[in-house]
Amino acid sequence: MVNLTIDDKQVTAPKTATIYDAAKLNGIKIPILCHDKKLKPFGACRMCLVEVEQMKGRQIPACTTPVTEGMIIRTSTPDIVKARKMVLELLLLNHPLDCPVCDKSGDCDLQNLTYEYKVNSNRFKDEKFNHEIDYNNPLIERDMNRCVLCGKCARICDEIVSFGALTFIDRGIETKIGCEFDDALNCEFCGSCISVCPVGSLLARPFKHKARFWALTKHTSVCGYCGTGCNLTLGVKDNKVLTTIYDENQGFHKGQLCVRGRFGYQFINSTKRLTTPLVKKNNRLVEASWDEALEIVAARLKGGSDVAALATARLTNEELALFKKLLLEDVGTKNFDHAAGYAHAALTEGFARSFGTSASSATIPDIQKSDFLLVIKTDAYETHPVVGFEINMAVKNNGVKLSILSDKKGKLSKLPDAVTLVHRPGSEVAVLNAIAKIILDEKLADGSAEAIPGFAELGQALAAFDADTVATQSGLAAADIKKLAAGYAAADKGLILFPVGQAYAGHTADLASAAANLALLTGNYGKEGCGVLCLSEKNNSQGAVDMGFYAQDGGLNGLQILEACTNGGVKTLFIAGENPLTSYPDRNKVKAALEAVEFLVVSELFLTETAAMADVVLPVCSFAEKEGTFTSTDRRVQFFKPAIRKGAQIRTDFEVFSGLVKCLGGQAPASPAALFGEIAAVTPGYQGLSHVSLRKDGAFAAVSMTPAFVVPKAVAPVAAEQGKLALVIGSALYHSGTLSQYGEGPMHVCQEGYIEVSRSDAAAGKITENDLVTVSSASGSIQLKAKVSLRIPAGVAFAPYHFSNTPVTAIWAGQPVTMVTVSK
Amino acid sequence: MSDAVAQQAEEKEPEVDLSIADAVIDKYIDIPGNLMPVLQGVQDEYGYIPRIVADHIAERLNVYPSQIYGVLTFYAQFHLKPRGRFIIRVCVGTACHVQGAPRIVETFFDKLGIGHAETTPDLRFTFEKVACLGACGMAPLAMVNDSTYGGMTVQKVGEIVSDYSQRPLK
Repeated sequence: MVNLTIDDKQVTAPKTATIYDAAKLNGIKIPILCHDKKLKPFGACRMCLVEVEQMKGRQIPACTTPVTEGMIIRTSTPDIVKARKMVLELLLLNHPLDCPVCDKSGDCDLQNLTYEYKVNSNRFKDEKFNHEIDYNNPLIERDMNRCVLCGKCARICDEIVSFGALTFIDRGIETKIGCEFDDALNCEFCGSCISVCPVGSLLARPFKHKARFWALTKHTSVCGYCGTGCNLTLGVKDNKVLTTIYDENQGFHKGQLCVRGRFGYQFINSTKRLTTPLVKKNNRLVEASWDEALEIVAARLKGGSDVAALATARLTNEELALFKKLLLEDVGTKNFDHAAGYAHAALTEGFARSFGTSASSATIPDIQKSDFLLVIKTDAYETHPVVGFEINMAVKNNGVKLSILSDKKGKLSKLPDAVTLVHRPGSEVAVLNAIAKIILDEKLADGSAEAIPGFAELGQALAAFDADTVATQSGLAAADIKKLAAGYAAADKGLILFPVGQAYAGHTADLASAAANLALLTGNYGKEGCGVLCLSEKNNSQGAVDMGFYAQDGGLNGLQILEACTNGGVKTLFIAGENPLTSYPDRNKVKAALEAVEFLVVSELFLTETAAMADVVLPVCSFAEKEGTFTSTDRRVQFFKPAIRKGAQIRTDFEVFSGLVKCLGGQAPASPAALFGEIAAVTPGYQGLSHVSLRKDGAFAAVSMTPAFVVPKAVAPVAAEQGKLALVIGSALYHSGTLSQYGEGPMHVCQEGYIEVSRSDAAAGKITENDLVTVSSASGSIQLKAKVSLRIPAGVAFAPYHFSNTPVTAIWAGQPVTMVTVSK
Repeated sequence: MSDAVAQQAEEKEPEVDLSIADAVIDKYIDIPGNLMPVLQGVQDEYGYIPRIVADHIAERLNVYPSQIYGVLTFYAQFHLKPRGRFIIRVCVGTACHVQGAPRIVETFFDKLGIGHAETTPDLRFTFEKVACLGACGMAPLAMVNDSTYGGMTVQKVGEIVSDYSQRPLK
């Protein structure tokens, strides 16, 4: 710590602090415009000028000047105020001052500072800018006439997002922020640039002229898309969610959001929302009252074990727990599951066997504390973009070493010194096993490993996975596998990440165990910055596992339930929020199952293609209209309250399940809070948590581990076939599950499915970008737009799964790798 | 998109052989701070920096394309459009200005039919006004590629243009 004097006040500050930091730490306000606590100091705007006595009273920028012992600083002498006023005069010289029509008005740093410093006249005269406004994309408007050249947008796009869409161009008197060749903006559209823009140069187009900033009510919430568990501030007016508002202090992610979180909120107030229960009469769905609908459903639920249920992991913990109680106690069935069953197997089988707990042994904040990251599949960036930001910052700011084991390259591969091992699709378990064998053979294992059950048998069991054999199988060089093994084993804090989800059929319990073995062998678990982090697909995937909402004790799992529908074992199917027709493998089979089942009830926000097949459709709430808790992929339990009132004829799933419990003569819990009390008492790690205690920041549910070595089975890689490509399914950056199809933002930039092929395969098939190609597999064929991509190796193709209009489930039956032909 | 950019996009860029750029990149690939020498080397080869080459450099050097454009627009030495075989530079610095440089510039505009920083459609001439060529004693001064012409007059402009119009393009 150093001692210094700011405005006659004796203060202390850490050695690494700048004058700005020191002042802020001690409650002294220095105005800033170009500075952002998340970004590296830049010193462009000169608003933060202060006087330092030791520097002969010169005016120096507080945001870039480190503190030194005994510094005497004055932050608001008349000279300083005069200088700041001039800075503002100069900035306003070219600024259009079109505040009455600017959406930033009321939330604008430049406006606020102008007001604070009473700059009511300008001694200078100059022409205004005359830049054309970039309206070329549907999400981000760029009006460079309002720009003050603080560079925050360019810096956040580089330092955190690592995309680098924006930079200073035409440097000199005509400097402006622009893209390559002064083109229109074409990026990931995460909107981080909008969030830090201190003026109205970068604006969210979906919010243009929707409401004045000061007319919005702010409601904090938790994002309803992926498992990262980002916090949101929703801007609400007239009971409508109109925008998301940036709050740099919110959540572990400091307000950073991805395209889905920032722009995907429109599904909440979509006009396509269901507004009333529907009941099938004469083969048509017609409007019905809740009493009528629930009575029909309750009568069918008396079927006991011929009833089955699928629920989405977007429901709250309370809803899932109540649904489970309804099914187990009041209906009398064990047949319920979520995420098709296989998508949570990494947790419920893999980690359950390897760590003795169905939860990850690391948290998202561990990423930045680690010193060696092994990321399985570059898709981690697409499935969980904000986790991707954490990886970017870990590598760029903290010098964390990054190795990627993937079937294709991706944005993470471009990070400084990132090593990407591109293997043949489907061989990741074999490669991880080979690494485990190398660690054992080369005696790189940690001393603690020997005491873990299964250690003695592990070496024998992995005998087949010598580096050379696996190298041949996976298409990697044995030397690269050895290098990766040595790197991971040598790391003090090694962290392994992999995504799971309905699109990642290859990311199984075996993959989880294979990754866990590496952590157990090297002692990389149970410590800060270490462990294996399974990135679950949906906002409450981990919660669904924690609530035990999956097949256990002989109950049927997701895929078995659909089979039982086809063969008559299940007569009543209750689907709460899932859309199996688009998200479960093998569309034809799913369709046959839903047609075969005697009675189908669907609770949903929208009339999805699955809901359209139902006998009863129940309109339910989005996350913004209910209260409850979500558990993020790293087991952060977070409480949220409704941001808007629900529609008159819409109920929460909690109310639906409560109603049904009562119809069946059971006892329903008084409220979600009361039920959470019961949950907390019996769920491992949730002890002591309550809605009240989670109100502020949420809390991590503790994870206790009893490790064991498990030998993962590696599937034989799919043999290459002449003229066919190995298709792997995954997630697109802009989407999450099937819900984001109803969020206008994501659909603006990615409306339909596509297939990414390598340059060489495209050339061989005479395929160019955006060509419509026919993709055929053993289970069907579909037309998709082609993307020709540098990141895809020859012989491989990639397709995202989210889209009802172009469902890849038509050609994909749930295998990790599908051989397909692609032709024009 | 600004008008200039739209226009540029419409003008179809000629086919570019990327292997020439690759040869330059290969030479510098392992050197830290290689962007400037690569850009200079590539410009020497193509005469300017075609967009597809800039994108290719971005991919191979793992630098954002936007950053490359930032560098290209900062330095006057880089050109984003094809340049003429003969680059005519006329000094408009203080000494040359006093000695009548504006009339020399106007006469070049008339004779060539192009303005400042423009290139004739046949890619023979590019004309540029420059601030100082460092030979004020010879004012007003013009240069064509590496040849210097001091004490410029309106007549001399005609002679230079007709002389270089007859030289071979390759």
